[in-house]
Amino acid sequence: MSVELLKEKWSNTINSLTIGATKEQGGSRTSIITAGGESTLPYLFSEGEMPHRPVIAMEIFDVEPTDWPPVLKEPFKDVLNNPVEWAKKCVNKYQAQSLCLKLQGAHPDFGNLSADQAAATVKSVLGAVGVPLIILGCGNDEKDAAILPKCCEVAKGENCLFGDATEKNYKTLTAACLADGHNIIAESPIDINIAKQVNILISDMGFDLNKIAINPTIGALGYGMEYAYSIMERARLAALSGDKMLAMPFICFVGQEAWRAKEAKGPQAEHPQWGPEAERGPVWEATTAVSMLVAGADILVMRHPQAVAIVRGTIEKLMEK
Amino acid sequence: MDKATYTITFFHPQATQIEVNKGRDLLSAAVAAGVHINSSCGGDGVCGRCKVIIKKGDVQSEPSGRISMLERQKGYVLACQSTVHSDVDVEVPAASRLELDKISEQDLKLLRLKGIYSEASDIDKGKRIIAKDIFAHGPLATKLYLELPAPSLTDTVSDLERLYRAIRKIKDIPIIQTGLTNIKRLGRLFRESNWKVTVLLGKRNGTVEIVSVEPGDTSQRNFGIGLDIGTTTVSGQLVNLNTKEVLATKATYNKQATFGSDVISRIVYAAEGEGLEKLHHAVIDNINAIIEALVQELKINLNDVNAVMCAGNTTMAHLLLRVDPTFIRKEPYVSTANFVPVIRAAEAGIKINPRGLLSCVPGVSTYVGGDITAGVLACGLNRTDKMTMLIDVGTNGEIVLGNQDWLVSCAASAGPAFEGSGVKCGMRATAGAIQRVAISPGGETKVVTIGQAKPKGICGSGYIDCLAELFQKGIIDRNGKFSREKLDARIRMGEEGQEFVLVFKQDADCDYDIVITEADIENLKRSKGAIYAASSILLKKLNLGFSDIEQFYIAGGFGTYLDIDKAVTIGLLPDLQRKKFSFVGNSSLIGSREILLSSEAKKEAEAIAKKMTYLELSVEHAYMDEYVSALFFPHTDLSKFPSVKTK
Repeated sequence: MSVELLKEKWSNTINSLTIGATKEQGGSRTSIITAGGESTLPYLFSEGEMPHRPVIAMEIFDVEPTDWPPVLKEPFKDVLNNPVEWAKKCVNKYQAQSLCLKLQGAHPDFGNLSADQAAATVKSVLGAVGVPLIILGCGNDEKDAAILPKCCEVAKGENCLFGDATEKNYKTLTAACLADGHNIIAESPIDINIAKQVNILISDMGFDLNKIAINPTIGALGYGMEYAYSIMERARLAALSGDKMLAMPFICFVGQEAWRAKEAKGPQAEHPQWGPEAERGPVWEATTAVSMLVAGADILVMRHPQAVAIVRGTIEKLMEK
Repeated sequence: MDKATYTITFFHPQATQIEVNKGRDLLSAAVAAGVHINSSCGGDGVCGRCKVIIKKGDVQSEPSGRISMLERQKGYVLACQSTVHSDVDVEVPAASRLELDKISEQDLKLLRLKGIYSEASDIDKGKRIIAKDIFAHGPLATKLYLELPAPSLTDTVSDLERLYRAIRKIKDIPIIQTGLTNIKRLGRLFRESNWKVTVLLGKRNGTVEIVSVEPGDTSQRNFGIGLDIGTTTVSGQLVNLNTKEVLATKATYNKQATFGSDVISRIVYAAEGEGLEKLHHAVIDNINAIIEALVQELKINLNDVNAVMCAGNTTMAHLLLRVDPTFIRKEPYVSTANFVPVIRAAEAGIKINPRGLLSCVPGVSTYVGGDITAGVLACGLNRTDKMTMLIDVGTNGEIVLGNQDWLVSCAASAGPAFEGSGVKCGMRATAGAIQRVAISPGGETKVVTIGQAKPKGICGSGYIDCLAELFQKGIIDRNGKFSREKLDARIRMGEEGQEFVLVFKQDADCDYDIVITEADIENLKRSKGAIYAASSILLKKLNLGFSDIEQFYIAGGFGTYLDIDKAVTIGLLPDLQRKKFSFVGNSSLIGSREILLSSEAKKEAEAIAKKMTYLELSVEHAYMDEYVSALFFPHTDLSKFPSVKTK
């Protein structure tokens, strides 16, 4: 006699978020991506659907990154100081479906580039590749308030995903994204309540809930990943149970976190028992990414091409029904 | 040549002088001189409330971020951070004066601050929480007039036995105690008074004591005092113990405020040098001043005040009795005594009949004291079949949930923001405090102050109104941050970020604009979040929700002026039918009076204290989660506040 498995029935569905706009849609992208839309916990296909497979966006910088370890710089060493070439390499050589452009150079400590310079970079990257774009500020609230509205403006019609909006700085970015029709990333510090609060604050300004992605903030493998995992799981459970203010796709900045870990970047010369960092680093990033997928991540922002390839393969397998 | 001592003259506005040694700080010099200066932090230099102006002379001051550039040019310094190096003249500006004495009677009549300062008439004619006859009359101290049969050769029982025999004819008291002091006096007293005496009986810890014996019939003169010792306010009520009549009520600020505004900073202060002594004397001074004012007003002899019943939080009770409170704040948070035996009031320094008694309402735990036991008794929580919640909104917010079958309590450290402390223009609820605020959609702002006086600052109920108005008019967002980028005359950039001007200085009784800052809003948000989260956790622990509560009592400093709708709008109170809420004002004082008047009530208070379960929130993992979700206007879970709409 076969045992019938108990199945959960959820009352709500995660919003579907589309990034990019084709010519017909008023943009110039050759492809677009859609994330979210789940009506089940991750990969439990017997309980509901996952209409869109998780997306990997490769991260590029507008200026040469200063804190990337040699292993991570290696695949991009010829393009690190040229965001346009870097973008092309990601798309052409590594088949990136999407790119995440971080405007690090605007930060007062990393070049203090002007709003016009940042906007020009956005424009040229958009011109160089056809994939949809995620665009991040430099992390300095004051500077981001100055550069991001300008970047939103030059990217008008392209339906980008802009970030990050926090409970402190959300107003300027929300207003800009609203004006130019972009999506927004709502960031919170590994806290389900604050995640919800930022979403409410943004929607209080008249912003469409379907155009918000949650950045729950994560930790890398070995650096509090479990904590992030349980916050994502709780948020997803609440969303599927009917909480519309948490029913947004997750975007996880895996590369940024994983490559901060000493276990990912520490050279073998210093840690002989850890093995070669050329293998260890990408695997650290990939492991973190896969864990986030299982927690419910919809968009992964990653760095190393090898890690991207591993995770792409894992997604294929996870999505097999 | 350097003199060893200098003269400080404080102008507040009258001049008070004191001689001090070189290097003495101005705050402690002011305390020694009897000049009361505000101080929330107890002299750590962080609260910025003890600003004074140096008019003449040389002081050395530690630099402080609490003094603005403009103030510094005018000679402002923090009293606690300034030491004396010559004779000095110090002006104590109005904002820094701690007006301890001036709220007494006139304000009470004017302001009718039910809650903190209930007048006798309010309590008698107002809504009584206790129906008259719940507790049989049986006060802590009773008087009996006795005409003793004179001894004869056939009746040779001793004087003391004779007295016992006469008492037992009237009352069934198997065990009577008498002190040697009384026995020594009996022989002569009986004979000189022609065997007609009045005996004062006191209930002491399960037995009855002959407290004193007086010649003649003084049985009509038997008075008692009910006290509520709050962290911020001390209130006292004079009661005729024979007739239960409330004769008068008076209140004053707790003088301990000079040494720190919350219980924790006072416990810390108590451990330093003569700190405990100073704190003890401060509150005893308060109590004696209240009692003296009461007896003077009613032309009663102090010797006819025979009993004092006191309700206060655990720390206040320790300090009253000069018991070291140190262990209250150390894990595992155990107090020295929650059930304090009846002692002589004089032992604590309270001036009434020198042999008169002092009793304390029993407490539940370290952070839930006799004031809550008294409050529960006053509200009849332990006698109702309805699910009831009592919230005492204070610096240490206490919450009790239950009914006749069970009681559970918890304490939430809400901070002093709603009592007007730790907020820029905050003040306690006295004349001149803004207590109602209305903001029109165009930004026009109207305020109403207590006593219709010129505004001086904002009190708790004013802050609740203000937050609700700013939020509903869209001036602040749900997170409490100003949502307009565009500034104008009222919404402007201040020293600590954006602020909203309620009253410009030309219309105020102070030399600065009365504002609410983004930092104030943050503080208030934390206070309301703590209270809501604690209530919510308490309910969750019992598998209940707010909707299960049938009646809701709110006690504390808001009094009649708490606008329930606005308190719900900001998420301080849950969104329930408004008719479920009632204000009980100073429930602690009412309970304390009932216990003074009835030994039955006292037994019941003891039963309440024993029966009440205490839930320690600091070990509740879910508390932090609840707290963060309550740090939003009205709450992160908007579905909990369906009636709250913006704009």
